[in-house]
Amino acid sequence: MNVETRHYAFLGLFVCVGLVMVIGLRPGVPVTADTQRMFAYIDSLPGGSTLMVSFDHEASSLPEIQPLALALLRHAFSKGHKLVGVAFLAEGTVIGYRLMQKAAAEYGRKYGQDYVYLGFRPQHVAAILTMAESVREAFPQDYLGHDYNEIECLRTVDSLGDVAAVISIADGSTTTYWMEYGQSPERLLVLAVVTAAMVTTYDPYLASGQMHAMVGGLRGAAEYERLINRSGGGERGMLAQSAAHFYVIAMIVVGNVVYFKARRKRAAS
Amino acid sequence: MIGPGTLIAGLLTIAILTFLYRDNPVYKFAESLLIGVSIGYTLVVVWSGTLVDSLFMPLFSDGRYGLLVPLLLGLMMFARLIPRASVLSRLPIAVLIGSGAGVAIPTMLEERTLKQMSATVAPLVGASGWPDFSAIVIVVGVLTTLSYFYFSRAHAGLLGVSARMGTYFLMIFFGATFGYTVMSRMSTLIGRMEFLLTDFLGLTG
Repeated sequence: MNVETRHYAFLGLFVCVGLVMVIGLRPGVPVTADTQRMFAYIDSLPGGSTLMVSFDHEASSLPEIQPLALALLRHAFSKGHKLVGVAFLAEGTVIGYRLMQKAAAEYGRKYGQDYVYLGFRPQHVAAILTMAESVREAFPQDYLGHDYNEIECLRTVDSLGDVAAVISIADGSTTTYWMEYGQSPERLLVLAVVTAAMVTTYDPYLASGQMHAMVGGLRGAAEYERLINRSGGGERGMLAQSAAHFYVIAMIVVGNVVYFKARRKRAAS
Repeated sequence: MIGPGTLIAGLLTIAILTFLYRDNPVYKFAESLLIGVSIGYTLVVVWSGTLVDSLFMPLFSDGRYGLLVPLLLGLMMFARLIPRASVLSRLPIAVLIGSGAGVAIPTMLEERTLKQMSATVAPLVGASGWPDFSAIVIVVGVLTTLSYFYFSRAHAGLLGVSARMGTYFLMIFFGATFGYTVMSRMSTLIGRMEFLLTDFLGLTG
């Protein structure tokens, strides 16, 4: 068995994260202004408002996306809002449906009346442009094959102008298309729930006001869970994440010390 | 007792993680399975959700014969597979590029350039009368970073100082982006670790 230095580094990370998770400590997480803004918006909407939830992510980002999406869906369902789910990445289709089903069941919400899942459409630019004029045109049937006209919670939804906001749950750049192509003919309020890797991509849109609010990463999930007083994957993972970050910092320091010592030794010889 | 779904997911997660030791057949199997299932699932979703629901059903059941045009254009794409008829594929490509550019150019200019520029030009003095530090940093950052990408003059003198400052802003951006990416990957690891320790091994509640 050929064990190299990197193997010890990986093993150390696993032990570090694993131990912290087994201990199960849950540190308090201060809520940032961005998360508070998202919470305040959904909280302040009148009950029964319609929100569109776009699952714009792939299966690989599920571990990070799931706590975020569930926290947001739980909040929306607890406030009695009607949710319309769509997906612009094929892999996210069934994930979105299952997450909506799970959150809806916890609050006794019924499919068709309180929420609906329209499913996947390719070519997200064309789909968003069509939905800006007619959601029915883009999705004549829902994910389960029901006719659009027969779905109760869609009776008040003709176009994107009829939804209070779009919540884009994304691990890539699809949220940008909602901001760019969903604005016509009326301004569409876009909220983003994104992986941590996408936060810096969307920060300029948040600063310019093109995006109303954004929650990102496991930390965002932990903050949102705190706001809705419901523990979840975000809160459970926060201490592990902090431990992993300290471990990475320690590895960087140790790596640099070893490198500079070796360089000095080489120079001396 | 864990269900078959959890058992398969747990074993496949461990199979993928074996790559951290080195490339091996167990990892290769899990990787190939992931790719195969992913492509198969995407094909089914696109076939049923797009071709059947949006093309075949409206065309053949509802008699919307206007859809023959996109069907024909789509079929012409496959002409690329026949060398003697490949010229036919240029028409649907031209339609795609033409319509795509027509839709994208004004939107990009408006949403990505003009709105972002106008957000940069914010008052440098806040409502309290004190300088707005964030607005100043944004303006200085944008101008110095742009100056770094100005290549028509040598980066010397004032332009050199500005370009050097621009590189510092770029490095801070890259550092922040990399930090967030590390955070994201750690979140993914933690998500899978939670699954392994809780659902698969039952070590945590």
